Amino acid sequence: MPVTYKSQRIAYPYFVVALCLFALQIVAGIWLAISYAFTLPQGLVEALPFSTMRAFHTNLLVLWMLLGFMGGTYFMVPEESKSEIFSTKLAWFQLILLTATGVAALVGFLFGWTKGRPLLEIPFPLNMLIVLGALVFLFNIGMTLLKARNWTMIQGTLLSGLVLLALLYLFGVPFYKNLSIDWYYWWWVIHLWVEGAWELITSAIMAWVLMRITGVERKTVEKWLYVEIGLFMFTGLAGTGHHYYWIGAPDYWLAVGGIFSALEPFPILLMVWDTFQHTKHSKSGVTNKVVWTLVIACSIMHLIGAGVFGFIHTLPQVNYYTHGSQVTVSHGHLAFYGAYALLNLTIFYYAFPRLHGVERFRTNLGHLGFWITLISMSVMGLAFGVAGVIQSYVERVFGLGFMTAQAQMQLWFKVVIVAGLCFAVGLGIIIYDLLSMGRRARAESGAVLTQSKGAAAV
Amino acid sequence: MTTRTAQWIFAVGTLSSAIVLGVLTVDTNRQMATLTNADKLTDEVVAGKVVFQKYNCNDCHTILGFGGYYAPDLTRVYRTKGEAYIRKAVTEPEKVFATSFRHMPNQRVKPDEVDKLVAFFGWVNNINNHDWPPQDSKQKGLTGTSRLLASSGISMSEGAALFKENNCFSCHSLGGTGGSSALALDNVGSKLSAEQIAKQIADPRSVNQAAIMPAFMNFLSAPQINSIADFLSKQKGGK
Repeated sequence: MPVTYKSQRIAYPYFVVALCLFALQIVAGIWLAISYAFTLPQGLVEALPFSTMRAFHTNLLVLWMLLGFMGGTYFMVPEESKSEIFSTKLAWFQLILLTATGVAALVGFLFGWTKGRPLLEIPFPLNMLIVLGALVFLFNIGMTLLKARNWTMIQGTLLSGLVLLALLYLFGVPFYKNLSIDWYYWWWVIHLWVEGAWELITSAIMAWVLMRITGVERKTVEKWLYVEIGLFMFTGLAGTGHHYYWIGAPDYWLAVGGIFSALEPFPILLMVWDTFQHTKHSKSGVTNKVVWTLVIACSIMHLIGAGVFGFIHTLPQVNYYTHGSQVTVSHGHLAFYGAYALLNLTIFYYAFPRLHGVERFRTNLGHLGFWITLISMSVMGLAFGVAGVIQSYVERVFGLGFMTAQAQMQLWFKVVIVAGLCFAVGLGIIIYDLLSMGRRARAESGAVLTQSKGAAAV
Repeated sequence: MTTRTAQWIFAVGTLSSAIVLGVLTVDTNRQMATLTNADKLTDEVVAGKVVFQKYNCNDCHTILGFGGYYAPDLTRVYRTKGEAYIRKAVTEPEKVFATSFRHMPNQRVKPDEVDKLVAFFGWVNNINNHDWPPQDSKQKGLTGTSRLLASSGISMSEGAALFKENNCFSCHSLGGTGGSSALALDNVGSKLSAEQIAKQIADPRSVNQAAIMPAFMNFLSAPQINSIADFLSKQKGGK
């Protein structure tokens, strides 16, 4: 089934840019792993500092995922609201603005133009352009919904997630004199994004895709969506406290953060259960098997990476030794891949066949790419985890110094390099598959047609 | 469950948690003034934070545990490494970390910026944050030593225990364990006497004007310094 509304096509360039940035993110990541595992000469360290490449790796992640969400929204909203997007020209403008700002930021990092706050390195003037891009986006989507007057709960959830995302970004803009206050509000961007706003977006998109591919009634999907986002917000908002244990904040955060974040796996668990219920009661035969696989994988990996690996070191007693170690890195990679990279891939695999206008496509490459990325990310997460446990013991429990601990971790960073290279291969397959599936499907059906013609002639 | 119930779960869940976060945020902002010694946030400290951000230090180093995990946490660097060391490491990292497994770029930080940076680290050092990080905590250092002794079953002299507890390993090494930003001490006993070593530990700049090692007479008693010196004077085995 091709796209229903012409303006849904605007999602395509968003997805293509997102995929390019995703690929770049992996390249930067492999460079970081090499810097960890080997001694680089002083000249190289000065030309291309680790800090710059880390800013690349993390900012590319945020940028490609946001563009994926935005493209996904442009793809979804017309079908939900039953109307065309308010202005595709504005959508193009917004894409060009955000991409150009992102590229300018990356080039700036290379020349030391940075705000110097991890993950929020983008300097003030460019911050303003990003805010402008976000406002254009919200205006465009808001106008579409206003004109359509076809309100649905899924749209409401998606829109509130996007508005919240934009509002929270503002807390990362000012300069804070007090380092502790700085980190306090830094987490309002980072934590309340990934455990608040982004969860709303995820829940809405997952609910919509599930409804689309399984044919389960809207009423049922929406009912569970209310419960899920209610629990996500309940545990996630006050759960911000698990970042306030060691920043010079009052004692009660140890209790509040510990308790609320210990509950954080529950909404994800509900999401997994909900997904399985919906897929079990599927009323229509699922044609797009890759989306099917991705939906299930996303819910399970979301639970493992964000839920379980987060829970493992969220209790203050454990976190005292693991905070700011490779355990955090392990959790970060598994959570972002499980919850948000797989969500984006779900959107891509749902939308691309339709954007290419193909009914059916071969699923072998999609499955292969997915499994390679899944296995390599799992190996990488475990390697970081082992390195993190070594670090927690050698550096923190036994107090033998940072570099002594790092020396014991080299093997695991080498494992990370190999896993990263495999991940790149898997992603390469996925990108090739997504971009060329239309051409290949048409060539194949053309071949079938010629063959049958030939057969008829005989 | 009806849709109505589901909507209630959503409303109550979101609101209650938002209220908790909101109320505690107001109180935290009030209490943090004391916990972080906000009254000592001088212009120079704030300027130091600007320098810290300007050179993107935080994407390799963590501070209060946040940032890049590539290099050591800087929360207590002012106490554990001392001002002279910070100055040297920032301005001449290619020398300080010449033999280190991991190198630090020379960012050509200007002299007045280094002053500000030191003031910033001095202020951060006094943030009251439940004694994190454990590796730089005096009390946890002691526990770490007793754990190490209990798990290895070896007996350790008082000097050796003090050597470890006072983070000597973060710059010096013994038998291949430890940092490389200062001399390896495997053979120090055949070069220096116990008295000379004690003098060096107590006040390094009385021996060498350019020394960047902290003066441990500020942290340790004379008998403690003597027992470390005694332990080190027996290190005659190494390279």
